[in-house]
Amino acid sequence: MDNRESRKGRIQLIIARTVAYAILIFLSIACLFSFYMLIINATRSNAQLQAGFTLAPKNNFFVNLKNAWTDASIDIPRGMLNSFLIAAVSAVLTTYFSALTAYGIHVYNFKLKRFAFYFIMAVMMIPPQVSAVGFIQLVNKFHLTNNYLPLVLPSIAAPVVFFYMKQYLESVLPMEMVEAARMDGSGEFRTFNHIVLPIMKPALAVQMIFSFVSSWNNYFIPALLLDKKEMKTVPIMIAQLRSADYSKFDMGKVYMFILLAILPVLVVYIILSKSIIKGVTAGSVKG
Amino acid sequence: MKKIIAMLLALVMVLALCACGETAPAAPKTEEPAAEAPAAEAPAAEAPAEEAPAAEAPAEEAPADSEGKVLNIYAWNEEFKGFFEKYYTVPEGVTVNWIITPSDNGAYQQKLDEALLNQATAADDEKVDMFLAEADYIQKYVDSDYTQDITAMGVTDFSNTYKYTVQAASDANGVVKGVSFQCCPSALIYRRSIAKDVLGTEDPAEVQALLNSWDKFNAVAADAKAKGYLMTGSFAETYRVFSNNCTMPWVDENNNLQFDPQIEAWIDQTEEFVKNGYTLTAGVWDQEKNDQMFADGKVMCFFGPAWYFNFCMGNAMDPEKGCSGDWAICEGPAAHFWGGTWLLAPAGTDNASLVADIMNTFINNEEVCSKLVSEEAQFSNNMAVNAKFAEDPNYGSEFLGGQNDVAVFSAMTDNIVWQNHTVYDQLLNEGLQNNLREYFQGTVDKETALANFYKYINETYPAIVTP
Amino acid sequence: MNENRKMRRRGVSYAKWGYIFILPFFVSYIIFTLTPQIMTIYNSFFENYRNGLTQVGPNFVGLKNYVKLFTPDKSGTVDVLKYFGNTVLLWVMGAVPQILVALLLAVFFTSYRLNLKGQQFFKTVIYMPNLIMASAFSMLFFTLFSPVGPVNQVLLAAGWADKAIDFLSLKVPVRVLISLMNFLMWFGNTTILLMAGIQGIDQNMFEAAEIDGASSLQVFFRVTLPLLAPILVYTVITAMIGGLQMFDVPQILTNGKGTPDRASMTLVMYLNNYLQTSKNYGMAGAVSVVLFLVSSVLSLFVYNTLSRQYKEAPRKRDRI
Repeated sequence: MDNRESRKGRIQLIIARTVAYAILIFLSIACLFSFYMLIINATRSNAQLQAGFTLAPKNNFFVNLKNAWTDASIDIPRGMLNSFLIAAVSAVLTTYFSALTAYGIHVYNFKLKRFAFYFIMAVMMIPPQVSAVGFIQLVNKFHLTNNYLPLVLPSIAAPVVFFYMKQYLESVLPMEMVEAARMDGSGEFRTFNHIVLPIMKPALAVQMIFSFVSSWNNYFIPALLLDKKEMKTVPIMIAQLRSADYSKFDMGKVYMFILLAILPVLVVYIILSKSIIKGVTAGSVKG
Repeated sequence: MKKIIAMLLALVMVLALCACGETAPAAPKTEEPAAEAPAAEAPAAEAPAEEAPAAEAPAEEAPADSEGKVLNIYAWNEEFKGFFEKYYTVPEGVTVNWIITPSDNGAYQQKLDEALLNQATAADDEKVDMFLAEADYIQKYVDSDYTQDITAMGVTDFSNTYKYTVQAASDANGVVKGVSFQCCPSALIYRRSIAKDVLGTEDPAEVQALLNSWDKFNAVAADAKAKGYLMTGSFAETYRVFSNNCTMPWVDENNNLQFDPQIEAWIDQTEEFVKNGYTLTAGVWDQEKNDQMFADGKVMCFFGPAWYFNFCMGNAMDPEKGCSGDWAICEGPAAHFWGGTWLLAPAGTDNASLVADIMNTFINNEEVCSKLVSEEAQFSNNMAVNAKFAEDPNYGSEFLGGQNDVAVFSAMTDNIVWQNHTVYDQLLNEGLQNNLREYFQGTVDKETALANFYKYINETYPAIVTP
Repeated sequence: MNENRKMRRRGVSYAKWGYIFILPFFVSYIIFTLTPQIMTIYNSFFENYRNGLTQVGPNFVGLKNYVKLFTPDKSGTVDVLKYFGNTVLLWVMGAVPQILVALLLAVFFTSYRLNLKGQQFFKTVIYMPNLIMASAFSMLFFTLFSPVGPVNQVLLAAGWADKAIDFLSLKVPVRVLISLMNFLMWFGNTTILLMAGIQGIDQNMFEAAEIDGASSLQVFFRVTLPLLAPILVYTVITAMIGGLQMFDVPQILTNGKGTPDRASMTLVMYLNNYLQTSKNYGMAGAVSVVLFLVSSVLSLFVYNTLSRQYKEAPRKRDRI
């Protein structure tokens, strides 16, 4: 290939690469800036933070870390564990069942198929804030407050994720593949779990990250449903910390909390983002 | 898929290990209150401690006790929780459950309202047993059937509590439904060095004589400006001083919105102050204002009660840039109070005598009230205790250059009146300030600002009729 | 024999599986979302709010809430239309650059010819702003642009301003900041979606196009874009829905007030105003129904135009 490329083509490529790198580096700096500010602020004491703004780190990092980790009223390790449980279960439920539903509608022909599809499309547009109020009333009625079930079970029905899966299936899954599996005597669930899901790996990974992150950062609903200290999630704790009274209002600690709150999602993201690449290079998409 | 799940599980386990070696953390189900009670008793309990009392729990449950074992306290911040944990010993076997919701945008009241409305059907250990309320919305709860008469519960001695704090917690028929653990007369807090430059004196009595009316206050603002200072640091700094002296409530008997002359006076004064550069357009809580508390700050006057020193004046106490000792207090142009936290008894609590004991402790226990003053820089709600400090020649606040603040506050309490409050006060006061701020900043004209204020009212309180 | 019979009856016997596969979704949806939503619509025909601790209503009032919603104020502005305008403006300012940049980056990342180094790093980094809670992110921007914040410090020090600018009290800066934050938070997310979509395209297509001597632009417009259409439709529609539901960033940046002069108040912030203190389910229900109708119409429009345009293009070529 290289030999065949003309000199002009090579120069073009160098220019294109330079432009691409320039754009990427610029955007990366813009993205990293807020993290930089967070980390810098997490290294400063409350007094230093109140005194004004600097770009240079201070030496209060470990003091803040210790304060945040061992805070008596806000058990951040426990909160991280709670958040992690909820987010992980939600992410798995969301991706699996959305893929299942999308597959059901994509592959089979049944009377209510069109209705089901347009129904989901229509409800996708209703803002979640609308159902939140009724949802809380419902949960109260069934005495399910301080329970994780109402936080994870609704994630089975995620219209937006369904839509993505449906669109993805449309572009990657040929019907011949399903039919071939049937010829081989594979049951419908087996076909889905062992043939279709692997093909959908990139889509699953992507949506898993997204739903994990949104569940991890979700404040509105959990704040209304959880008030037992040992069941609270990280965002509730952070809101609580910000409302703590001024004499204990240690902003250094607040920034440290935010930093701690971001770390796990960052880890999960990095793990899953690798599997996107793997899923593609494994070549299972080709068909 | 399997790999991903395996990784997630692995991470859960790693996190579990990090969680201070707590045992069996992965049980998301609602735990039985009985099993959970002893564990929560000692928040820092390590694993062994956690297991031992749990085993005893069933035995403890047996004795027939008329009162519940779980005390649920609703609050919006940790302030009272701190005092409670330091100065009150809970009877053995009782677990205190703090339900803390930030008050931002009315979230605390929403949470509390939901709980109170469900109070009748809630299980005994889930009921609200005591809750905290601020001056601005206390009336909403006091005037309702969701609170109960505390004299019937055993809180009867109000001989040492300040009258306005009892009035605030009494309904229209005079039934007392709660107590405040602090009294909040608000003072004019001024910078001694700036006062010396502008007024020629820093002595509290002389400063008071020069600033004891709005006319004098406004005139001095011009002098301060001439010398390069600011009279106040926020457009809303004087709002409380006016609004506390209103002669009519925010709404009339037909729920029509009405502007008290005092509110109009505040608007006029602020217009003048902003136009002439006597103040800043920052909010009362903004950093821009707080930065003026440093030694190089230009603001002469702040307004605030005892809690304001610790709560808001951290910049002034900063060891490097602050100016601790360069401050003093006097009553200022008009008597007023600001804030205060009341403990209220909800109807249906299953811990009545315990709640009554807590209330009595924080208003009548001399030792506790004294500690609140000496250790926590509070102005307690016990006249006898405050008088003791006021008369003590050795007591003085270092922050105020040795001035005895308790004496000043004590003298001010007689002039505080509790009058013309409505259930709407907190959000109307907030809404007015927020919307008029845009006018003072010059973003919109006065008419638009008021129109936006009315829109805000329509969204917040549909029952109020706006012009 | 047996198998043959099955084949013939395929349409009938497999239909059952369709229902089984979509059952969990619908059960969960009906219980946890649809029921509350129907309650919302039902509520919009009632006077139903809380005044302090006193419940007013529910009293049936017909369309009164809708009439109130569309009644102009003294200056002739219909509030709900003003907030709809704000929402659309804020969305366009953030989403258009977001989708264009994401498309560009997705092509960069998946291009064999460019073969960029450090992809894993860039991909990780551009998605990172999405990991920060909107509240924390807004708090940072708030501090950065406050009158005593570093931006003002720099402006003053450099002599570009003679006194501190209160950015958050000015219409244009507030809107730009909101759009910028939305852009930063979501362009990485969009890039990843589009990238996964491009990677799902059969690589042979690209190789074939390259062997045929197609330029990068030709490959992009003739191969990538048409085949990416389903995912692109998804991206545009969800971005639009997300935009119409825009809430947390302006809410926290302006502390729920939509300052100045309610110029950055979005529809959902308006909805939230009714829910906050007054629990005004009547008016909130009416706003929700309006929001629902508007987004349905827009989404169907986008869905139909985009999918028709791109779906037919490659098929036609196939036939030729």
